Amino acid sequence: MAHVVSPLDQPSNYKDSQSRVDRQRQNDLLAKSATLYIGNLSFYTTEEQIYELFAKCTSPEDGGGIKRIIMGLDRNTRTPCGFCFVEYYTHAEALASMRYVSGTKLDERIIRCDLDLGYKEGRQFGRGKSGGQVRDEHRQDYDPGRGGWGAQAQRLEIERRREVEERYADAQEGPGAVAGGGGDWKQEDSAAAEKSLKRARSEEEDADTRQGQRAKVDDIEAERM
Amino acid sequence: MSERHNRGGYRKRYYPRDRDDYDERRHETPDDKLKTSIIKLGEVDPVEEIPRVEQSIRDHLPRNIPLLSEALLIGVTEQPYKIPFYAALLRLLHNPSEAAVTEESPLGRLVLEDFWKGFQSYVDKVAWRETRLCIHFFAHLTVAKLVSIDSMFSLLRSFTTVLDEFGVSHGRAKRAALCAGEGLLMAGTILQAESPSGVEEIINAINVYVDTTAQQKWLVCPSSRISSQDIPTLNTVELLDVLLSSLTALNESDFKEIENCVPQPYKKYPEIDSATLTPYVLPVVLVPPEIIELDSMSADSGEEAPVKQEEWPEFLSRLFPEDVSPDPNTPHGYVLRTALLDIIDIFEVNRKECARLLLEYPKWNLPGTFKPKPGAPATTDPLPAKDWQLESTVIETVLGAYMILPESSKKSIYYIALITELCKLSPSTVGPAVGKSIRKLYASLSDGLDVESARRFAEWFAVHMSNFGFAWVWKEWVPDLSLPVQHPRRAFMRRAVEFEIRLAYHERIMKTLPESMQAPDAYTIPKQAPGPAYEYEDPSNPHHDAAQAVLNLFRGRAKAEDVVAHLDSLKSSLENAEEGHDSVDSIVRSIVVQSLLHIGSRSFSHFLNAVERYLSLLRNLASGGTSSGSTANSEAKADILTASASFWKHNRQMVGIVFDKLMQYQIVDPTDVVAWTFLNGVTVGQLAELGKPMNLSAFEWDLLRGALDKANGRVTSARRKVTTLKKEDDDARARVKARADENMDLDAEPKDEADDAPKEAPPTDNAALTTALKAFSSLTKEQKTALSKTLEGFVKCLAPSSTDAHANPHARTVITEEAWNNRANWDRDEWNAWETWGWYRQFCRAYAPYLRTYSTTLYTVSFAKFDHAKDPAAELLKLIWNIGTGQET
Repeated sequence: MAHVVSPLDQPSNYKDSQSRVDRQRQNDLLAKSATLYIGNLSFYTTEEQIYELFAKCTSPEDGGGIKRIIMGLDRNTRTPCGFCFVEYYTHAEALASMRYVSGTKLDERIIRCDLDLGYKEGRQFGRGKSGGQVRDEHRQDYDPGRGGWGAQAQRLEIERRREVEERYADAQEGPGAVAGGGGDWKQEDSAAAEKSLKRARSEEEDADTRQGQRAKVDDIEAERM
Repeated sequence: MSERHNRGGYRKRYYPRDRDDYDERRHETPDDKLKTSIIKLGEVDPVEEIPRVEQSIRDHLPRNIPLLSEALLIGVTEQPYKIPFYAALLRLLHNPSEAAVTEESPLGRLVLEDFWKGFQSYVDKVAWRETRLCIHFFAHLTVAKLVSIDSMFSLLRSFTTVLDEFGVSHGRAKRAALCAGEGLLMAGTILQAESPSGVEEIINAINVYVDTTAQQKWLVCPSSRISSQDIPTLNTVELLDVLLSSLTALNESDFKEIENCVPQPYKKYPEIDSATLTPYVLPVVLVPPEIIELDSMSADSGEEAPVKQEEWPEFLSRLFPEDVSPDPNTPHGYVLRTALLDIIDIFEVNRKECARLLLEYPKWNLPGTFKPKPGAPATTDPLPAKDWQLESTVIETVLGAYMILPESSKKSIYYIALITELCKLSPSTVGPAVGKSIRKLYASLSDGLDVESARRFAEWFAVHMSNFGFAWVWKEWVPDLSLPVQHPRRAFMRRAVEFEIRLAYHERIMKTLPESMQAPDAYTIPKQAPGPAYEYEDPSNPHHDAAQAVLNLFRGRAKAEDVVAHLDSLKSSLENAEEGHDSVDSIVRSIVVQSLLHIGSRSFSHFLNAVERYLSLLRNLASGGTSSGSTANSEAKADILTASASFWKHNRQMVGIVFDKLMQYQIVDPTDVVAWTFLNGVTVGQLAELGKPMNLSAFEWDLLRGALDKANGRVTSARRKVTTLKKEDDDARARVKARADENMDLDAEPKDEADDAPKEAPPTDNAALTTALKAFSSLTKEQKTALSKTLEGFVKCLAPSSTDAHANPHARTVITEEAWNNRANWDRDEWNAWETWGWYRQFCRAYAPYLRTYSTTLYTVSFAKFDHAKDPAAELLKLIWNIGTGQET
């Protein structure tokens, strides 16, 4: 169908300045990516609002769904700074969002989606001097949804909603700061489960062995992330 | 020159990865230019441009026939609104060339012969849309006397043959009927003049097929009733039905009307003299047989792969009277609507372009078909009985495609986003059409609009309003607040408001509502923002202190095993305190789950973090780990779901999200969610205190759907994995065997090759394959159980046994015509029962491809008990089931 019009699901020309992959490799990765960068969000938009809209592009019957959402935060204040990553389970879902959601409104702002290489540790934080996104450093207009005037001009507006400000105060850095969202289905270790059902054991013992087995599963999962 | 200047070095630096279109133009050859000019034919004025394009084709030397036919194939299959003009172009290319070279065939004929090859490959690939659009093209060429009438007849007949195939699927039959029927429609005048009986034969073939689809139609008609097998024709029409009625009407009047429906620009040119040029004889085609997906796994698993296909008749909704938008039962209506549907389908990749093309459609049809744009000079007199409103027709068609049952062919959000683009392009003309459509759909809610259609209506409404400042005149629906609280109109208002809040926030939506709707007793919007409800917050709660201690452990990020140890001591103290209380396990589960959700209540990510940190604890809890009996596995899972739903009782979106992730993390299974929903779904949300008898509303349906889709999705993924591994395995074996064969040739030593090959096969692959097969078989079992539990749940709701304490007393009474006609007096229970019946219908049609796989077992489990009972409710349940699963009834 590309003969008559160009499809909307093409990635933009954005290149992550901190990513070390070259163009070709980046294009190959984007052609399989299930992650989207979402821009021009209001600072007040919640993950649940994002979930509601982006869930409309999921294909659960095909093994898909929203894996996780990573809210972009101001490095210093730990408050949302107008972007996020939405990670699906499948590439097709990311493409659907590019076609149907990018360029429509969420929380009364026109949002922009772009295929992304995938979340890497640290990317949840803004890269602007003031801690937010670079684009908000030099913005000249008054944008109530993005903290009013550009970051350097004013940040009083941000006091407006305490709730929003405090939500991510506990945001961590470093590995494991961001949840995975749940991996593929795995066969349960039924033998172990049965054993614990059959024999009446002391509860402590029971809990301990189960913990051990689960921890292993978690390790495998953690490696995959 | 200036163009080249623009592509200076600096620009390159900014766009190192050249845009494709940019790149293409840069290296555009004369061939490419010609191709583009053919594809872009008519962007300004088709009729005027045709001779110009003809000339440039003739001037283009050396001739490149494949290039011309390729351009034409793209034009015909991707821009069907241009087909008549391409036919005209090809007609001109049949004129003898001025160069007076004695050619064997005119240029046009050479192109047509090559075009045919492209068509043949579409047929071979069973690319139905492309095939059908090429047939349109051939039909026009037949009218232009470039294609032999007899061969056109036999082309159409090869598609009606498909209708006679034994056990043909509806999807295939529908598409074949459209190919034959639309070809006949476009070329009817000339075909009928040649052979009236041939025309009747085609119409009859379609008619005979359509007659066999009555029951399926009933199941997917958005305005059919559970109480009657009739199919209302007032607001909905079925695609094949309207094709048939259009053809019948045309046939009665010698197809004269068609020249008022479709442009035939080639008719302006002098007629081809058949003495000098014999029409092209279309070669015979054979539609390849239906591909029955032979699942490679059926041997191992004993199950056939369910294939999702559109297997149902396609109803178009009718929102406007025939002076506003064309009646789809007429040839005009059929032609215009299907033309718009093709644009909607083809341009799905770019909704913005799609919107533009839809609003530009009038320029491709006859002048006077649609009213001129407001302010534009009326260049032609409106044609009698035409002069329709473009925007209303477009919106009606898009909404019709969106509302198709059991599901639209593209994702819902596509149609929603398309309407948004249409509104953005021309707010002053599209806006009113959207408003009128909303009012029309809202009105139809009282007349039994299908529950799934109503759900989609609410979804569209909310997303649409979210894109246009939530500006709706709610005031006009205030009088309906006097209707019973579960009346479809009130359910719609509540749902629409809830969806709006999810996309925005509570205060924002509250502001948009009139005062009478803001009141809590109006049951339209909750008083408070949908926050969490931590049951143990209140110090007067008997378990407040116990929960606080658990909460503090979570807050302090205590190790999971420490929490478990603490829970054990908590349990013993509770057991001592609450003598004779047998639900200590449930209390502990509730405290743990609610406290964990409390920790994670700030956002979706916080929730995921909390769950992941205590995954082992949750899985332990779900397996009945802390309970001494350890037999109550499913009870434990039900408790976890209950605690979650109770924590988020004011926020149904979060209930759905939490359930989804509990399944994703394998803390509960889809089956648990299904079972829980039928037992407890009604206790969640604003109307919780009102719900009592068992029933399903759209919210519970969403939970069920989430669970079923999860179960089905897992099977799909597992199947994919097995297929990949199998292929790898086969390839590996083939390689080994090839190597062995090679060696054998070299050695020339007689060896038992069958004995040799398997030994060398890599054993690791097989281990992976074995695991994958095992997973596939477990997941298939889970899928079957989830489907079976759902069916059982519906049966219990709708044909409850006399001993069932929570039975809705009206489950059996709402299914008669008498009851339906008395619906003005229905109250909550009646409407609840009615809605539950609606979701049962949706279950049977939407999950039909999956249900078919297990239809025999599932039938036995759920329906065998009714075999000798005279129970109208059971009969209706079985009827719907049988239609859904494609059984003879």
